[in-house]
Amino acid sequence: SAKYCPILTNHKSMESLFIHLIIRGDKDEHAVLCNEDETYDLKIADTSNLLLFVPGCKTPDQLPDISASPQLVHAQIWGFSNCYWELRRQRPRLKKLKKLLMENPYDGPAVGMQEEAPGPKYTMDDLLERIQASREEIEAHLQNVHACEIDGFWRILDFDYEMKLLGHVTQLVDSESWSFSKVPLSVCLEELGSLEPKSMIEHCLNCYGRRYSNEDGQVIYALDEDKVCRATAQLLLQNAVKFNLSEFQEVWQQSVPEGMSARLDQLRGLALLDRSSKPETISLLRIEDLPEDTLERFNSLFSLREKWTQDDIEPYIQDLCGEKQTTGALLTKHARSSVQNGVKVYNSRRPIAT
Amino acid sequence: MVQIVISSKAGEGPAEWLLVELQGEVVSRQNTGLAGNLMGDLHYTKEGVPVLIVGHHILYGKQVKLEKPFETMETNQENPTSYTVSALIKKKLIFKTRPKPIITNVPKKV
Repeated sequence: SAKYCPILTNHKSMESLFIHLIIRGDKDEHAVLCNEDETYDLKIADTSNLLLFVPGCKTPDQLPDISASPQLVHAQIWGFSNCYWELRRQRPRLKKLKKLLMENPYDGPAVGMQEEAPGPKYTMDDLLERIQASREEIEAHLQNVHACEIDGFWRILDFDYEMKLLGHVTQLVDSESWSFSKVPLSVCLEELGSLEPKSMIEHCLNCYGRRYSNEDGQVIYALDEDKVCRATAQLLLQNAVKFNLSEFQEVWQQSVPEGMSARLDQLRGLALLDRSSKPETISLLRIEDLPEDTLERFNSLFSLREKWTQDDIEPYIQDLCGEKQTTGALLTKHARSSVQNGVKVYNSRRPIAT
Repeated sequence: MVQIVISSKAGEGPAEWLLVELQGEVVSRQNTGLAGNLMGDLHYTKEGVPVLIVGHHILYGKQVKLEKPFETMETNQENPTSYTVSALIKKKLIFKTRPKPIITNVPKKV
């Protein structure tokens, strides 16, 4: 017999939810509901009231206005329930995606006659099976982590390999004296195609530049200064726990392509500055390395540093904000504020083991 | 991981159902179960106020538009991880007032 279970939806446009919905989750995960581009938390809600479902039952506005004779209409109660599922829009759980792809990063084509080393590889369908997010959210995240599809499998690039590709491109730009905003695809593929697969060169340009066509219909890229400088900083910072800030800034500026400006604001969500230490220091702290769960994220941040200014902590909690929630509201909820040296700082609400 | 697919019946939009919400429980007279029995009579006054008569009680309610619509779903026989949306519920009749007993025979004081 058919089982009916009501789902309460609070989607603005109800009709779109009827197209294709998928409930996803492993045994140990909370179920989520996804449509093409959104993810919702599914929670069961109880009511002490009795909910009766009556198919086709009409309300006064739907009944003809016949005041003459009374009408008797038979209506059947289909079923009843005390509970229903409630949907709440939530940010998709995407950390698992990078984790899966990092099981087997791609570091270039196999050399000589060797086959590529065996390792887990995932197609889009495999990812849809494992990740609690909608297809579009997964596709967007794949772009964020610079993943690319190789032989039908989605692969993340080994960071050193990615930087090697970028290095080839920036060196070519330099030797050809091109403007950063006018990097022609065809010449890149021609000149660099002997060093690396053309698909990888193009993928690198897609990750670090904006693609467009010029008047002659040629495909051109405008390199993104912020992305290039940020990646260069990561390459430097991952080599040590902490750096002297001014020394780092010097080396960093020298390492980025000539003509690009390395600026500290490019490093939000990637590095943490310590302006209270003497000398001032900088260390790698990537948001993707922090826990995904809100409470765990705050605990993690407060164990790294006892007190944070809003400006410092903001890039590391921005993604936790719900719809229409601000980082300020998030801080009010999860942290305690105080004033230190005239500056407002936040610390944990609970004792943290450091 | 489990993936449960929910889809709407091809071609048609979902039917619209009405939700009737009552406080408390509805039980059958001799506890014979609810299936197949007459629950009660639903009337609308001239002003459109819903009135429900269950047993010898009368309840007055009101029609409310649901802020968050409900969808009902049924499982597919062959494929238990597939659900079909069968109906959409945009409004409900809610009966929150205390049921009043209808007394038709008041014994006269002798």
